[in-house]
Amino acid sequence: MATLHKTIHTKVPAGATPPAPARASRKRRVGLGEKSIPYLLLAPAVIVMLVLLGWPALQVIGISFRKLDLGELVRGEVVWVGLDNYTAVLADPEFWTITMRTVLFTAAVVAGTVLAGLMVALLMRHLSGAVRVAVQVTLVLAWATPILATTTVFQWIFDQQYGILNKTLVKLGFDSFAGFSWFSSGASTMTVIGLLIVWQAVPFVCFTIYAGLLAAPKELYEAASMDGASSWQSFTTVSWPAIRPLVTLATFLSVIWDFKVFAQVWAIRQGGPDGESTTMPVLLYLRGIAGRHFGVASAVAVLMILVLLVLTARYLQLLLRSREADVS
Amino acid sequence: MNKTRGQRIALNTTGVVVAVLFAFPTYWMLTSAFKPSSDLLTPDYDLIPLSFTLDNFASAWAKPGFLTHLSNSLIVTVGAVLCSLVAGVLAAFPLARLRFRGRKGFLLLVLIAQMAPMEALFIPMFLLMQDAGLLNKLPSLLLVYFAITLPFTVWTLRGFVQGIPFELEEAAMVDGCSRFGAFRRVVLPLLGPGLVATSVFAFITAWNEFLYALVFMRDKDKQTLPVWLSTFKTVFGTDWGGIMAASVMYALPALVFFLLVQRKLVSGATAGALKG
Repeated sequence: MATLHKTIHTKVPAGATPPAPARASRKRRVGLGEKSIPYLLLAPAVIVMLVLLGWPALQVIGISFRKLDLGELVRGEVVWVGLDNYTAVLADPEFWTITMRTVLFTAAVVAGTVLAGLMVALLMRHLSGAVRVAVQVTLVLAWATPILATTTVFQWIFDQQYGILNKTLVKLGFDSFAGFSWFSSGASTMTVIGLLIVWQAVPFVCFTIYAGLLAAPKELYEAASMDGASSWQSFTTVSWPAIRPLVTLATFLSVIWDFKVFAQVWAIRQGGPDGESTTMPVLLYLRGIAGRHFGVASAVAVLMILVLLVLTARYLQLLLRSREADVS
Repeated sequence: MNKTRGQRIALNTTGVVVAVLFAFPTYWMLTSAFKPSSDLLTPDYDLIPLSFTLDNFASAWAKPGFLTHLSNSLIVTVGAVLCSLVAGVLAAFPLARLRFRGRKGFLLLVLIAQMAPMEALFIPMFLLMQDAGLLNKLPSLLLVYFAITLPFTVWTLRGFVQGIPFELEEAAMVDGCSRFGAFRRVVLPLLGPGLVATSVFAFITAWNEFLYALVFMRDKDKQTLPVWLSTFKTVFGTDWGGIMAASVMYALPALVFFLLVQRKLVSGATAGALKG
C-alpha cells in the first residue's frame, strides 16, 4: 500500500495546476509533513492514554510503597516505607476474609451468568418465532437498563415491607417472609447483589453464545439427527465445538467484570451490614477515599490487580497472542 | 429437529417464563413509576396496576437537584463522547491507512489500555485531579470518561475505516483531491454508521459510570445522576414511586440509544473471540 500511495501522491500536484513557486514550497512542506503526520494525528490519543491511564498505573505501584495519609498529602512529603503497607494489609485477617469472599462471589456470579446465558441461548434456538422475539426483546431491555436504575428497582422489589417479592412469597404460603429483611445478613445481601449482577450480565453472554450457535451449519444438525444422535449428542458434537471459544471468552470477560464490580455492591448497602458484603473494590474505596490512607489503599489495589491477573492469566496470554496477530 | 407437540409446548412455556423473569424488573419499574403513591405503600397485592398518575414524575423532576444532576451527567457524558470521537477518528485514520514506525506499538498500547482495571486506579487518579485542582469539577470526570472510552473507540473506528475500500479514496485523489480531502469527502461520510455505533457505546459507558463520579464529586450539586440515585433514600425517603420515576428518566436515554445499535453490539463483542 505504501508504494501505491506514493505514486498516487505525485499525481496529485500534476493534476492540479497551481503556480510553480507555490507548488515548490507546498511540496517541501508535504514532504516534511508526510513523516510526522501519523504521529501528529495519534498525539491526542497517546497523550490521553499515557497521562490518564499509564501514569496512574505507575503511580498506584509507587504509592503502594509510601506512607501517604492526609498529613503527608497536605505537607507534600514523600515517605518511603518499603513493604510496610503490604505487610500491614496481608497481616489483617479481614483482608483475607474479604479476598476469599470476593473470589467466591465472583466464581458464583460468573458460573450463574455463563450457565444461565448458555441455557437461554440453547433454548432460544428451539422456540417458535413470537416467543423467541419476546425473549430477545426482554433480554435487550435488561441489558440496556443502566446499572443504577436496575439497582434501585431491585431494592424496591426486595423491600422489607412493601416489596413485591415478600408479598408474593406470603401469598404462596411462606408466611415467614412477611416483613423479612433481605439486607440484614451478609449472606442474603450478597445473594441479592449476585442475582442483580447475573440479571444484568446474562443478556450479553446469551447473545454472544447464540450468535455462535447460529453460525454452526444447519446441515451438521441434520446429519447428526439422521445418524440417530440424541439431543445431548448433537449438543456435544455440533453445538459445543461451535460455541466453545465464545463460552470461554464470555467466562473470561465475566470474571474481569464481576471481580471489579463496585457500583451495585456499594449502592445496595455500602458493604454492610457490618462489612459482611464488603468486596475488594469496596475495601479499596473505604481505605482510600473514606479513610484517606492512600498508601495502604494502593497496596490493596495492587494486590487486587494481582489476584485478577492470577484468575485470568491463561486466557490473557492467549488473548494477547491472538490480538498481536490482529495488530500486524 | 422433529419435536413432539408436547416437547414444543414445554420449550415455549420455558421461553415465556424466561421472558417474564427478564422483563419483570423493567415492568415493575415502569408500573411503579406510574402508580399513585397511595397504591405503592399498601399491603395489597397489586401485580397489575389499576390506576395511573404522572405525579411521581412531577415530584422526581421537582426534587432539589434533579435537573442539576441530569445536566451534570449530560455534560460529562456528551463531552467525553465528543472528545473520544475526535481523538478516535484522528487516530483511526493513520492506523488503518498509513504505514509508519511505531504503529504496532501503538496498537498494543490501545489493547492494553482497553484492559486497564480502572476500578483499581482511582487512588492515583484522585490524587492527580487534586494536584490539578480539578476535584469537584466536571472536567475531571469528563477527562476520565474520555480516557475510559478512548481505547475501544480507537479500536472500533480503525475497524470501520479498514472496512471502507481504499479504491474510493484513490478515485477521489485521481480526481484531484488531496490525501486529506479524500478522507474528509469520501471516508468521513461513509464512516457515519460507525461513528454512531461507537458513540453510543461510549455514551452508555460514561452514562453508567459510578465509581469515579462518587470519588471525584464530593459536593452534592456536582454529582451525576447515578450517584444521586444511589442516595435515593435520603432524598426520597420511602417515596418509591418518585424513585422509580427518577430511575425511568435516568434509564430512558440509554434504552433509546441502545435499541438503535443493539445488533452491532453482539458482532462487535464477539469479534475478539479466540478460535480453538
